[in-house]
Amino acid sequence: MALDRVTFEVLKNAYVNLVDQMSEQLLRTCYSFVIYSRDFSNCLCDAQGNTVMQGSGDIAVHVGTLHFTAKSIIERFGDDIHEGDVFMSNDPYTGGTHFCDVRIVRPVFVDGELIAFTQSNGHWADIGGSVPGSFDINARHHYGEGLRITPMRVVTRGRMLDDVIDMIVGNTRAPADARGDFLAQCEATRLGAQRLLELVAKYGKDTVLESFAACQDYVETYARQKLATLPEGSWKTADFIDQDPSKPEGLIPIVVEMTIRDGRVSYDFTGTHPAIDCFLNGTESSVFSAVVAGTKFFFPEIPLNSGFYRFIDTKLPEGSVVNAPYPYAVTGFCSGAYEKVMNAIFLLWSQVIPERALACAFNLEYLLIGGTDRRPETNGNFFMWYDWSSGGWGARHGMDGSNVTSSLFGVGLAQQSVEAQERLNPVLMHAREIAPDSGGPGRFRGGCGVVKRAQLTDIDATVMSYCCDRARSITWGMKGGQPSLPHGVTHQRNGESRNLGAVFSNVPMQAGDWFIRPSAGGGGLYDPLERDPARVLEDVIDGYVTVEGARRDYGVVIEAVDPEIDDYRIDDAATAKLRDTLRAERAGWLDVPAEEVARKLREGSMDMLTAIRRHGVICDWNDFTLLPRTTEQFRAAMRERAR
Amino acid sequence: MSAQTGGRRYRVAIDTGGTFTDAFFFDEETGAVSVTKVPSRPDRPDEAVLAAIAAAGIGPADIRLLTHGTTVATNALITRRLARAAMICTRGHRDVVEIRDGTKPDLWDAYVDVAEPYIRRRDRFEVDERIDYAGRVLTPLDEAGVRDLARILKRRGYEAVAVCFLNSYANPAHELRCKEILAEELGPDVFLCASAEIVPEMFEHPRHSTAMINAATGPVVSRYIERLDRSLKQGGYAGDLLILHSGGGVLTAQGASRYAARLASSGIVAGAIAGAHIAGQCGFENAISLDMGGTSTDISLCFQGRIPTTQRWQVEYGYPIMFPSVEVITIGAGGGSIAWIDQGGSLRNGPQSAGADPGPACYGTGGEEPTNTDANLLLGRLGGELLDGKVRLDADAARRAIHDRVGAPLSLDDTEAAHAILRVANANMANAVKLISVGKGFDPRDFALVVFGGAGPLHGADLARDLDIPVVIFPRFPGIASAMGCLLVDIRHDLATMMLKGASNDNLDEVEAEFRKLEDEARARLREEGVAPEAMELQRSFEMRYVGQWRQLEVAVGPEPLTDLAPVLDSFHREHARAYSFEDRGRGVEIYALRVVARGVVPKPQAAPAAAGARTTPPPAASRRQVHFGAGHGFLDTPVMRREELAPGMVLEGPMVIEQLDSTVILPPGTRSEVTPDHHIVMRFV
Repeated sequence: MALDRVTFEVLKNAYVNLVDQMSEQLLRTCYSFVIYSRDFSNCLCDAQGNTVMQGSGDIAVHVGTLHFTAKSIIERFGDDIHEGDVFMSNDPYTGGTHFCDVRIVRPVFVDGELIAFTQSNGHWADIGGSVPGSFDINARHHYGEGLRITPMRVVTRGRMLDDVIDMIVGNTRAPADARGDFLAQCEATRLGAQRLLELVAKYGKDTVLESFAACQDYVETYARQKLATLPEGSWKTADFIDQDPSKPEGLIPIVVEMTIRDGRVSYDFTGTHPAIDCFLNGTESSVFSAVVAGTKFFFPEIPLNSGFYRFIDTKLPEGSVVNAPYPYAVTGFCSGAYEKVMNAIFLLWSQVIPERALACAFNLEYLLIGGTDRRPETNGNFFMWYDWSSGGWGARHGMDGSNVTSSLFGVGLAQQSVEAQERLNPVLMHAREIAPDSGGPGRFRGGCGVVKRAQLTDIDATVMSYCCDRARSITWGMKGGQPSLPHGVTHQRNGESRNLGAVFSNVPMQAGDWFIRPSAGGGGLYDPLERDPARVLEDVIDGYVTVEGARRDYGVVIEAVDPEIDDYRIDDAATAKLRDTLRAERAGWLDVPAEEVARKLREGSMDMLTAIRRHGVICDWNDFTLLPRTTEQFRAAMRERAR
Repeated sequence: MSAQTGGRRYRVAIDTGGTFTDAFFFDEETGAVSVTKVPSRPDRPDEAVLAAIAAAGIGPADIRLLTHGTTVATNALITRRLARAAMICTRGHRDVVEIRDGTKPDLWDAYVDVAEPYIRRRDRFEVDERIDYAGRVLTPLDEAGVRDLARILKRRGYEAVAVCFLNSYANPAHELRCKEILAEELGPDVFLCASAEIVPEMFEHPRHSTAMINAATGPVVSRYIERLDRSLKQGGYAGDLLILHSGGGVLTAQGASRYAARLASSGIVAGAIAGAHIAGQCGFENAISLDMGGTSTDISLCFQGRIPTTQRWQVEYGYPIMFPSVEVITIGAGGGSIAWIDQGGSLRNGPQSAGADPGPACYGTGGEEPTNTDANLLLGRLGGELLDGKVRLDADAARRAIHDRVGAPLSLDDTEAAHAILRVANANMANAVKLISVGKGFDPRDFALVVFGGAGPLHGADLARDLDIPVVIFPRFPGIASAMGCLLVDIRHDLATMMLKGASNDNLDEVEAEFRKLEDEARARLREEGVAPEAMELQRSFEMRYVGQWRQLEVAVGPEPLTDLAPVLDSFHREHARAYSFEDRGRGVEIYALRVVARGVVPKPQAAPAAAGARTTPPPAASRRQVHFGAGHGFLDTPVMRREELAPGMVLEGPMVIEQLDSTVILPPGTRSEVTPDHHIVMRFV
């Protein structure tokens, strides 16, 4: 039977619905709060492992990788795949992302013929390794990061291999929850398979198989038609990871050259830094995901499946930070290479389609605190508090960046409720609020980030780890737009503060300790001195920008007449004069000797945002020791992006 | 509610729409039904309600019970014409409603944002207080601080304040005390609510969001309801004014003012209930209801007799309203939707609408832009008058508008232009129907399409053909079907309390005590609303989950006192296996929350069942006119019947036009229809 338009439309949407039903089932039955917060994805693959449909609410980071996992199962098991089997893998080196992302793959048979796979990928709260939550920033190889599950069979012809499951969950810190998540994912794939079989019963196997191909063709055709309307050419940029901890200071460049030609888009990463000695490396599959996700932002209306991958070429130099081989540590790829690739791609497409320009977004960050809970109700329990923040997204052409939004890594990844966190963990969140002046200044301002101030209450034998980046390669602006502020955690004990930076692990914590943790805002777009003073005034009234920030970043002088009733006024004459002065002075800002700026920071005669935004100076934020090589690279990048 | 009828013999339902206000009258003595329809008054919706009653030739004193579906809260949220409202939050946490959960509905379009919170950051304040997860006070409420804040709030002139503190679900004392102080300082004219009073549940954002919406709409809703209530009482109405809420039940005027956020989808729920009811009368369990009014179309789905409801509802993404709500989608396509040509030169339809004022061009009330109504008139699908002659339509004005704004720019003749306008309108509606049918894995070919609202029956047959829907149902009173839905519901309150305790008999006494507390409050609410004890129906349920899970399952139990939790646990395991195809009897089970649904049963109109008549042919049509049926047919000489001439059992062959007070039914060529015992028309393609 030929596939008519209505049936195609019905089936295409039925596949979206099938995958979304898998998601709904997983959400309702999972144990990991990470999965509950939507760090998961589900998909339907054809018999070759190609993605036919991915969930409509799934997070970016799994996009473009699920088909690799399905193909790795096919490659490993070949003919030895049977009705009633279920497979598992979390292997980043054969298509996965990081160990916490555990994938369950179920083949679907009709009359003995393998027609499809349903797949469920969920982020388990722990997968073993040296650190609670399995984020060890000190890991140089994957051995310390957790249990690596290469493609393996966990159910054979309908019989659960309990001994195998016991071994896997027995290597995690919460075996019962891990088993629960395994069951939940298993059942989600069963539900997907069942829905697919119902569609086969109604429309016939041949029609369904035809529609699998048609879904992918549809996506490819749609994308190529759009591509045909764009100019051909090449564009090049670089974004940076903060450092290689085993080397002297200096940013780690990820270089991307994009070429649009003959209805294809290629991304060439030649010139990218070699893999580094910490877990921020990306693998071939996770960086391919970043490329797909970055590109997708400029094709928002097109559904995602393997058809989308057909017009994209990537060249990822072997052994580089975007193609780290086994056994390099890669668990923190999401905070490291992943979002750098996405933001670099935003900059490139902003050149091609300026009316969709998008400056850099804040960096994905995870805080992990694990230890013994000493609260009366839960005394002696092991707790693992695992928290992430939203932040600001980059400014846009004609619009400010969006405030406090989930990360690029997965804008579907929900922020957790403070009330739920306080119930489950011995932590007291004193404040969780928008951070003023965090949005990168520009004619269009970057969105605002958030700051969290919290205290640990009744704890024992507790350590804190942090997975982030961009304490040095600070969230940047474009075309005159300025950077935001550095990521990083400040630890306070007995009134003493220490900035621990954006990556650290196993810092011992005591009852009563505080930590303060801002997330960056987005980068600005265009010259902040051209921002309409009336918009700056509105920002001041809402507390997105302070009165001092308005003066420093925008040259707008605002007088607080009666703040109780929001009576603030712009001093027009003073504003005009200040803007003239700033325009005259700023040409030399990036040439001021960096050490002089660092000295002023140490003396307290200059604030950190002035040093970063005007002078492009990057320091160790604990003691304001200048990082000369990093500063040189950061200043060069600021000049480059200003063009 | 008094049981005495006396002169008060009518059950009345009034549904306010964007263009018309519809009323449905059920005479309890004779079982007769009648309908009226008057133009809506967006500025004074209450006057349209009174006018709809007067149009029936009766007064408020003749009404025994009045039920009302209103869009006043929804419109306030959509247009953001809200009360000037403030929030008071725990120090350090005024951004809960702005931080939300950080997600966006469109994962990939960086140029589409979530709307701003209904209460802006500048209007959100903080006080010192803190309660921990277990309900213990860590920092006492700074009462002097609250009084000072009240002074500032007064200076700023807010009409409403929502008090939203962290962990107030575990201990509402600070919220309640803060509200009390505000009441002292601000006086009775400022609308106050505390988040834990509205939704006593964990998770701060959904609770704060609901309270925010309640505060921002509270004064708007109260003002409206008080005015309407007063006018009805002055007219001699002695019953309760019942307001339809989003969950498919009603609240009294008093309850509606207090829980304004529950009305956020009041205006659209009635149609979903009526559509499912009518489809059931015609023997269809699967139905898609399409309620097309003057400015918008509400679409809902009923599968196997059940209309899906959701615990979380929202008017705009990111701001949940934590009350159970019937699932309905609304799109900006109605009879009054304006056809226009965009910058790219393509013909668009809606979402802007001429509404009731200025109205479509053919109303001759100042509208110059062509609407779907104008196109229907030009194609002969609508006759020269509406509402039995009360509104005369100006065909020349319609032709002028269509020619000037659509025909000339696109080089189409007037007929082609009118037809193009309708095709675009139908395609928009078809996409919306796909969203809730195909989009959720339902094949429209398995459904009947129930079309109502003033404009629905004009478009229903064409839309069904586009969607491959085999059956179309035209209700007896299409224009006021929604109003009828208001009569089919009971007073309903949904109450809940958090437990977060193990499901073991150790906690049995506490569970029983909490249920009783909820039931006492439920009965008190119903009693306050004048519900007699014998009309009260209380349903208990548990929300349970395996320890460590994040979502819970509802397990309903009987009303008798609990003596053993084992059967409840057993139901939970079985329900988990049914819903998710696995159970885990080895794992601990937790009681997340207890819920009580309290119904005050309202008597439903009982029309005498009509006998199924033998198949007959209709009488010859009194008139005929030229009606356009698309490019394939062009204009056909078409019989025009009055709806009153139709009787059960009659078989109607298309093409045919059927006119009635509140709507016009189009039966295209190639269709055969039958009139059911309930006077609905069931059309099939042949």
